[in-house]
Amino acid sequence: MKVLVPLKRVADPDNANKVKVTADGKKVETTGLEWKPNPFDEYAVETALRLTEDGTKPKTRAGEVVVVTFGPKECEITLRAMLATGADRAIRVEAEDDQLDGWLVARALKKLVEQEKPDLVLLGKQAVDGDTNQVGQILAELLGWPMATSAAMIKEDGEALLVGREVDGGVINLKVRLPAVVTVDLRIVAPASVYSKLTKADFKYNEGVRFAPLPAIMQAKKKPMAVLKLADLATDTALRIQYPRFEPPKGRAAGKKVKDVAELVDKLKNEAKVL
Amino acid sequence: MASLGQNLYKADLREFAFVLFEQFRLGEILGAAPYESWAEDDVRMVLSECYKFVCEVIGPLNRSGDEEGCHMEGGRAITPKGFKEAFDKLYEAGWKSLGVGHEYDGQGAPRAVTLVAEEMLSGANPAFNMYPGLCVGVGELLETFGTPEQKELYLPRLYKGQWGGTMCLTEPQAGSDVGAARTKATRNADGSYNIEGTKIFITGGDHDITPTIIHLVLARVEGAPAGTKGLSLFIVPSVRVNADGSLGEPNDVVLGGLEHKMGIKGSTTCVLNFGENGGCKGYVVGGVENAGMAQMFKMMNTARIAVGIQGLATASAAYLNALVYARERKQGPSIKKFKDPTAPKVPILEHADVRRMLLDMKARVEGIRALAVKLAMHQDLAQIHAGKDDALAAEHNGQVEILTPMLKAYASDQGFRVCENAIQTLGGAGYISDYGMEQYCRDAKIFSIYEGTNHIQAMDLVSRKLALRGGADLKKFLGDVGTFAKRNAEHPVLGGAAQQLALAQKAVGGAVAAMMGWTQEGKIELVPLYANRFLEMMAETTVGWLLLEAASIAHDRLGALGRQHPDAAFYQGKISSAVYFALNVLPAVAGRAQIMSGGDDAALTIPDAGFAAI
Repeated sequence: MKVLVPLKRVADPDNANKVKVTADGKKVETTGLEWKPNPFDEYAVETALRLTEDGTKPKTRAGEVVVVTFGPKECEITLRAMLATGADRAIRVEAEDDQLDGWLVARALKKLVEQEKPDLVLLGKQAVDGDTNQVGQILAELLGWPMATSAAMIKEDGEALLVGREVDGGVINLKVRLPAVVTVDLRIVAPASVYSKLTKADFKYNEGVRFAPLPAIMQAKKKPMAVLKLADLATDTALRIQYPRFEPPKGRAAGKKVKDVAELVDKLKNEAKVL
Repeated sequence: MASLGQNLYKADLREFAFVLFEQFRLGEILGAAPYESWAEDDVRMVLSECYKFVCEVIGPLNRSGDEEGCHMEGGRAITPKGFKEAFDKLYEAGWKSLGVGHEYDGQGAPRAVTLVAEEMLSGANPAFNMYPGLCVGVGELLETFGTPEQKELYLPRLYKGQWGGTMCLTEPQAGSDVGAARTKATRNADGSYNIEGTKIFITGGDHDITPTIIHLVLARVEGAPAGTKGLSLFIVPSVRVNADGSLGEPNDVVLGGLEHKMGIKGSTTCVLNFGENGGCKGYVVGGVENAGMAQMFKMMNTARIAVGIQGLATASAAYLNALVYARERKQGPSIKKFKDPTAPKVPILEHADVRRMLLDMKARVEGIRALAVKLAMHQDLAQIHAGKDDALAAEHNGQVEILTPMLKAYASDQGFRVCENAIQTLGGAGYISDYGMEQYCRDAKIFSIYEGTNHIQAMDLVSRKLALRGGADLKKFLGDVGTFAKRNAEHPVLGGAAQQLALAQKAVGGAVAAMMGWTQEGKIELVPLYANRFLEMMAETTVGWLLLEAASIAHDRLGALGRQHPDAAFYQGKISSAVYFALNVLPAVAGRAQIMSGGDDAALTIPDAGFAAI
């Protein structure tokens, strides 16, 4: 199976207080930020690796895992981290962060999918910076491919995938014909959530994403890293989503003490307007 | 609050990047021999992946290892739950091969990079990291001194963690006085030796992690001279190894007992009886007798640096945890609103004395880290210039010699005190076990004792290192500090601090002259009396200097980037560390010089019976 995994780097979610808005409020200041791969995208890469191996032989790949990101040169370190964990090759589409939105990325990915011809596109269900949760869905629509979002379980089943989708109140099981687009949720990296046809049903993975071993980190720079221009993948690069202004979230206001229940109800009704 | 299996370890990767790339300009030596396979991005990725690894695999075993400790079962030492699995994962992930040469499947990383990775491994779980640390230590010794056959047999397996390692020096009557060792070696016809004797306090002397342990044992061949000159170093596997690397019979190395300790409880500390039944075979390292001390010194120097890193690592982990607690724990109102009983409670981070403790910890941790990385950079530069510019290589090696006892002693002493301050920051929460602070403190105490007590380090500095190469290394060191202080004396922000540094540098020079005077005047016993304090003076001057160097870089970067930049607070913090240390700690260097010039000898002249009437 050939799997394409688009991923995005995001400002380190554990260090969110470092995220600042430029003085004119036009954009998020990106210089000096600590970057991390979007966690859900990391899970997508782990899922792709699990789908292209026998779990007992994680060094041998049955198929190909290609990772792609859109961004400036410094994003290559994010791609390399994925090559180090086992992805076969990487593609960086040259772009600045503020030249992109979900619509444009999805259209460029469509073109890339036509070139790469993967059997499966795996994405994180959303990026934890903008939280727009759009790219996977738009891409599936543009390609006319079947789609399953928020996957917590994937089992290879002949030419199809059995996908357990996380929904309110439980899991919906779907059978998805390949080629397809699947976005993954947190529980996809549980020990018994992904099985390729090579991995035996009683095999259990370690919880979470795999580590990049040191030798693999050093060898990762020898793996292919192609650089494409955004214009090669999308002719119309105008943004559909406009961000007129950014502002940091307001600090929480201090609480108020109320005399009695009546005052509480009054405030909830007339001030907080939640009743 | 910590619970079993939860990782407490934290590291500041931004700080690592600053020290390596901005302060010590590691980038300049990457990409060229012998580090041609390394680039800046590799280092960044290695550090962030290593951090991930230690937090997920080793850190969660720190408290459980402390609570469970090690025990004996059927004559064998059993390590805490999870240690064996974590050890295997560590070697699978390859972190211990970072500094190992390419010829042994290592990555040949610069020492500076290995040092930072080791800080993370030690900081996440100091007791655990002893086992793999010894594999590397024994490997490096044999790589330097072993015969080709010994290297071929032992190195690949030690470097891959298939076999364990120890260094067996101490005996009941031979602790700091190694030359009093009585373990005997008797020549056999086949070139091997029979080893007989008892060693104590042997770290990793027995465990259930590897199937054999390669002990390096100091012993005296029959008829060899007394004292350290007659000691030879032997390779003594706990289970014999055949020429093809397969394992044979047990080698009559018997575990006599496990010590119960204050800290690093997950690390076995063993009494080992060699040849109780006359069946213990050893092989002399490099095929040369009576060279044991010189050979062991190689491993001891590496180990002393490693102990300095342990002190740094534990202190850094304790500091960052105390900081997180201080940000969250609310207690009392701000002192500015002391008259208002309804004033909101504030995080303790807002209280002046908590801030003082935190900044004190921060300055010491960062200053010691800079000292450690500087030492490692000197090692790397010595290696780069070796064989091309031997004079320059010798100069770098000279600085390594001077900095090593300072790192070992100062990092371990201060590491313990930082941990103590971390407990104080948490108050009662620091004294109970739940938050992990008291474990840091208990673990850290051994660092000032083993690998040569800190007094041994002070005497090594004073009586050996200062005089090396006719005092040239000391002169270069004092010259570097003096030049920096002079150049920055009029600095708009750091000028006052640089002037304190100049005073401290002068005080160190004066103290050296005072000690030379005592030696000439026949008052040589004053030298050991003041040696520890001298080492502290010199180490504090070094730390003050390197903190100021960092601050001047931070000051320039701030000027270029502006105060709105996300890194601005980081750089301002660097300046605060340096100014705090220079104005609150460095003045005591000159104070100690004054004490030395008084030459008080009360501790020597007090009658033995005068210490107490018991």
